[in-house]
Amino acid sequence: MTEPQNHNKRVLIVGGGIAGMQAALDIGGSGYEVVLVDRLPSVGGHMHQLSETFPTLDCAQCIMTPRTVDVGRHEKIKLHTYSEIEEIQGEMGDFRVRIRRKPAYVNWDICTACGACTEKCPTSIQVAFDRDLELPKTMRSGRVRHEGTGKAIYTLSPQAVPKKPVIDADHCTYLQSGKCGLCAKVCPVGAIDYEQGPSWSEERVGTIILATGFELYPLEKLGEYGAGRVADVIDALAMERLLSSSGPTSGVMRRPSDGKEPKEVVWIQCAGSRDPELAMPYCSKICCMYSAKQAMLYKHKVHHGQAYIFYIDIRSAGKRYEEFIQRAMEEDDVLYVRGKVSKVFREGEKVVVWGVDTLTGLPLEVAADMVVISPAMVPSEGTQALAGMLGLKVDEFGWWTEQDGNLAPLETVRPGIFVAGAGSGPKDIPEAVAQGSGAAGKVLSLLARWGGHDDQDAGHDELGR
Amino acid sequence: MKRIGIFVCHCGNNIAGTLDIDRVVEAIREFPEVVYAIDYKYMCSDPGQQLIREHILEDQLDAVIVAACSPSMHETTFRRTAEAAGINPYQTEIANIREQASWVHQKQQEAATNKAIETIRTIVAKAHYNQSLMPFYLPLVKRSLVIGGGIAGMQAALDIADAGYPVVLVEKADRLGGRMAELSGLYLDSDAAADPLGQKIKAVTHHPNIQVITQAAITEVGGYVGNFTVQIEQRTASPADQDPAGELVPYSFDIGAIVVATGYDLYDKKNLGEYGGGRYPDVIDGLQLEEMLRPDGPTGGRIVRPSDGKVPKEMVWVQCAGSRDPELHKPYCSKVCCMYVAKQSMAYKQQVPDGQATVFYIDIRSQGKDYEEYVQRAMEEHDVLYIRGKASKVFQENGHVTVWGVDTLTGLPLEVEADLVVLATAIVPRADAQELGQRLRVGTDEHGFLSEAHPKLRPVESLTAGVFLAGAAHFPKDIPETVAQASGAASKVLSLFSQRQMVQEPTIAFVDPELCSGCGLCIPACPYDARSMHEWQHIAVVNTALCQGCGACAMVCPNKACRVRNLTQGQILSMMEAYL
Ligand SMILES: Cc1cc2nc3c(=O)[nH]c(=O)nc-3n(C[C@H](O)[C@H](O)[C@H](O)COP(=O)(O)OP(=O)(O)OC[C@H]3O[C@@H](n4cnc5c(N)ncnc54)[C@H](O)[C@@H]3O)c2cc1C
Ligand SMILES: Cc1cc2nc3c(=O)[nH]c(=O)nc-3n(C[C@H](O)[C@H](O)[C@H](O)COP(=O)(O)OP(=O)(O)OC[C@H]3O[C@@H](n4cnc5c(N)ncnc54)[C@H](O)[C@@H]3O)c2cc1C
Ligand code: SF4
Ligand code: SF4
Ligand code: SF4
Ligand code: SF4
Ligand code: SF4
Repeated sequence: MTEPQNHNKRVLIVGGGIAGMQAALDIGGSGYEVVLVDRLPSVGGHMHQLSETFPTLDCAQCIMTPRTVDVGRHEKIKLHTYSEIEEIQGEMGDFRVRIRRKPAYVNWDICTACGACTEKCPTSIQVAFDRDLELPKTMRSGRVRHEGTGKAIYTLSPQAVPKKPVIDADHCTYLQSGKCGLCAKVCPVGAIDYEQGPSWSEERVGTIILATGFELYPLEKLGEYGAGRVADVIDALAMERLLSSSGPTSGVMRRPSDGKEPKEVVWIQCAGSRDPELAMPYCSKICCMYSAKQAMLYKHKVHHGQAYIFYIDIRSAGKRYEEFIQRAMEEDDVLYVRGKVSKVFREGEKVVVWGVDTLTGLPLEVAADMVVISPAMVPSEGTQALAGMLGLKVDEFGWWTEQDGNLAPLETVRPGIFVAGAGSGPKDIPEAVAQGSGAAGKVLSLLARWGGHDDQDAGHDELGR
Repeated sequence: MKRIGIFVCHCGNNIAGTLDIDRVVEAIREFPEVVYAIDYKYMCSDPGQQLIREHILEDQLDAVIVAACSPSMHETTFRRTAEAAGINPYQTEIANIREQASWVHQKQQEAATNKAIETIRTIVAKAHYNQSLMPFYLPLVKRSLVIGGGIAGMQAALDIADAGYPVVLVEKADRLGGRMAELSGLYLDSDAAADPLGQKIKAVTHHPNIQVITQAAITEVGGYVGNFTVQIEQRTASPADQDPAGELVPYSFDIGAIVVATGYDLYDKKNLGEYGGGRYPDVIDGLQLEEMLRPDGPTGGRIVRPSDGKVPKEMVWVQCAGSRDPELHKPYCSKVCCMYVAKQSMAYKQQVPDGQATVFYIDIRSQGKDYEEYVQRAMEEHDVLYIRGKASKVFQENGHVTVWGVDTLTGLPLEVEADLVVLATAIVPRADAQELGQRLRVGTDEHGFLSEAHPKLRPVESLTAGVFLAGAAHFPKDIPETVAQASGAASKVLSLFSQRQMVQEPTIAFVDPELCSGCGLCIPACPYDARSMHEWQHIAVVNTALCQGCGACAMVCPNKACRVRNLTQGQILSMMEAYL
């Protein structure tokens, strides 16, 4: 390998999901400085939105908060949240990175996260973190509006790190029409700054890890499943929020249209995946597992409910995964139907699902109360633009291209730039974490070769080398 | 007199939703030595931590109690917070009023509030006796051991060695490469580098920091993270020699961290009587076919029937042979066979374009980048016939091997007369994996695969500090996943080696030499082998590196000579008194 001229030992990580956080903690914990950039106001990525996680059903928040808190307080990790990369120049050993921070309209340096602003803000908005789930009026009384969310000035979630608010400029009355200004009045420290614009900073680093993760294929593009316009047809992340005890219903099982408990729920797998004609040809790898998980959790909440899962193949290849599916079938009576759904439509109170059971060859109709779609995973928006800046390739769908799919899954074609997590293709949490550590390993290997960090020199030669 | 400050957290509604916080704060202000008490919405948030720091200085506190969630969540957080304001970390205590009060007694608000107050009272009693402690520093040997020279072990060794640290790579066989060396090629890899494995092996054997010891076994592992001592025995004779045992050459190394990468075996096809495994020569397993497909293999890359050397006109693959079968065989899915069967069936169709390739499957598991497309190609471009159904029986008849099955899509029974049948047998751990696991104090699951520390968040660590996992020894994995995990294990080693020394918590056991009668009862009581008799003084001693502060020794000591720092019997008694 050719050695670079400069040896900047700071590391840039783009994306603060579980993969990026793992890499940051491994590298920061080894004594090197990390610059962690995420476009959301807080770190955590998608795992932050999950209810419980397969195959052990531990609560995502509970196992994750120690990590987010560690990242937030780590002296070696410099967070740039609500920020995106605008420009990167240079090469391994010496990259110059220009970071643009979006206007939060709040001066985070002085904000004490007291929450008064959100509390008093009169403008309610949909909560993107809750997948914009709007629960019906009849349920409002029972609905928990989680502290700090659901207003034009909001924090990403109650456990957000950093836990600082931002103003949604599109909905804030003051920023739109000059009226209101309530949050500025109630803020005890004068942190609200309606004039705040974007800001830019420059960081110099020697290596980069791309951990940009994924998004879900939009329901709007899935015409056969109602294109997002049929009430009570929701996507799987929305279901995670409904199942989560920190979600909009505090984990009580309710359907969005009328707040009733759904007695029959249908999951549709491979929606937009494995469909070369209409959507994505690839398999999204994790939806078989999370559909089983959701159906199980649903059954734990609604004991007499009926859960149906439409599938093509059940893909449960992982440690204790096959056994997990068996448990869903046998202990929780989840009904697996092998077949594809041709149409989903509303009929009165019900959502009707038409499909074919390919094992019997017979058509099948289920009049359900709610339908959960498991849409394809697609790369995060902006991955391609970032690739352009870095002179890297993405594949035809926009996933990062590894240097070699078999033997160099963490390297890119450019030295010093690595990938980790779901940004290079769908992955579950254990795989994303292993890759986060893996990419960190690649970086640590380089940094140690470049002389290590200052504190370690004494120990480095103990072996008489 | 101490000056104790107590900080009560609402945890949003998690605590404040159940407890009467005002009453709690009012009550605890009256406790002895408490000079300050206050509540806040989220104590772990930045402003909450700021509040703690401010009051440490303002009220000249010398001990801090945070009444909040379980110490496993935020003990470190608050210790560091208080330390930043000059408080010794071991003077900071957590009173758990969430898991132990508000969560478990949601319906009894009053009782829960009382319980929280009492819990805090006991912690105040403990805090009174807490001493300021300093962590221990232990030497750290920056050399690592990698066990297993397959792709996983080699990748981990290279990442560690590239960083400049010496690696000892121990391989049982007489060559490196593991199973990958037995494969004909890789799926997804038609046009990549010519000999990627050869290049890896070369990189390992030529690496100045890697010492490869083949034909070797780990015979003994002592010590602990940062300071293992490992005994290795190497056979000198090659397996082809007359005396296969040869001479045994012993090695001994001081090692700081260990990566276990011992890979997998195939479930013996003899166990699959229903498929004629081991009985019929023309029923082979996946690795046997890989061997035939290898250009350097015994058939020069040609697929032939073992029974008569003829080219098979009809081939059948039976997937999930011994996998996904909780009644008779292994309950789990072996993860890689769906993909290699597609690879093998395409290779066959390329060799024998007019041959018939049939695959019996339950589900096709092609979940990986470009994997789905790969299997589609097998079906569409290479006309491999996929039949959804489990093969029920294989038997030999008129020079053919006949496969019986049911096509579950049509519901019809099916009989295929084949010339060669390949069983995609289950993947199992190495036969000696469990024994090695015990030697390393690493757990294995009911099948013998090594257990990770946490199924989601710590997939490359074992529960034994300093021992990490890579590759198929942990669970069936294909090469891309194996390589990523191996780099992950290397990262953990490099992280460990980036410290100057090992840091050990001081809240561990010590022996009061005045009181110890040398009865030795504590020695077998310790689950971590941390206790022994002093060489010549007749008293027990504690190995500070191994002790985990569990307190088992203190329980058995009849003379009250064993104590755990900051959790002495005296402290526990005064906590109980405070509670009663
Ligand atoms: C419905 C559902 C249920 C699931 N359930 C489970 C489960 O039970 N168990 C399990 O193991 N897995 C589950 N998963 C999978 C799990 O969510 C992923 O494995 C995990 O989130 C991947 O982590 P990541 O860090 O790679 O990506 P992400 O979580 O997507 O994080 C990526 C981060 O990068 C940021 N980012 C992206 N692009 C940029 C950019 N250009 N600039 C700055 N920042 C950027 C994003 O804001 C985000 O914070 C589930 C997934 C879904 C959809
Ligand atoms: C038929 C078949 C085809 C396959 N095809 C593909 C494919 O095309 N693409 C793909 O990605 N994957 C494929 N795989 C999977 C691939 O073989 C594994 O992913 C890979 O070999 C795992 O590597 P490993 O290093 O973890 O284990 P191994 O390759 O098993 O290596 C482990 C090494 O450790 C040594 N060892 C074991 N015990 C000890 C001990 N006690 N002390 C010292 N050394 C020890 C062994 O001798 C061996 O060298 C295939 C598998 C099979 C069965
Ligand atoms: S100014 Fe905007 S953010 Fe502030 S309270 Fe009014 S609407 Fe809400
Ligand atoms: S009111 Fe002011 S200090 Fe409080 S959270 Fe809002 S911006 Fe921050
Ligand atoms: S993981 Fe399962 S549901 Fe998701 S695309 Fe693949 S086969 Fe379909
Ligand atoms: S990978 Fe495929 S063939 Fe192998 S056990 Fe799993 S489902 Fe069966
Ligand atoms: S405290 Fe536990 S680990 Fe430590 S010496 Fe006593 S029994 Fe052993």
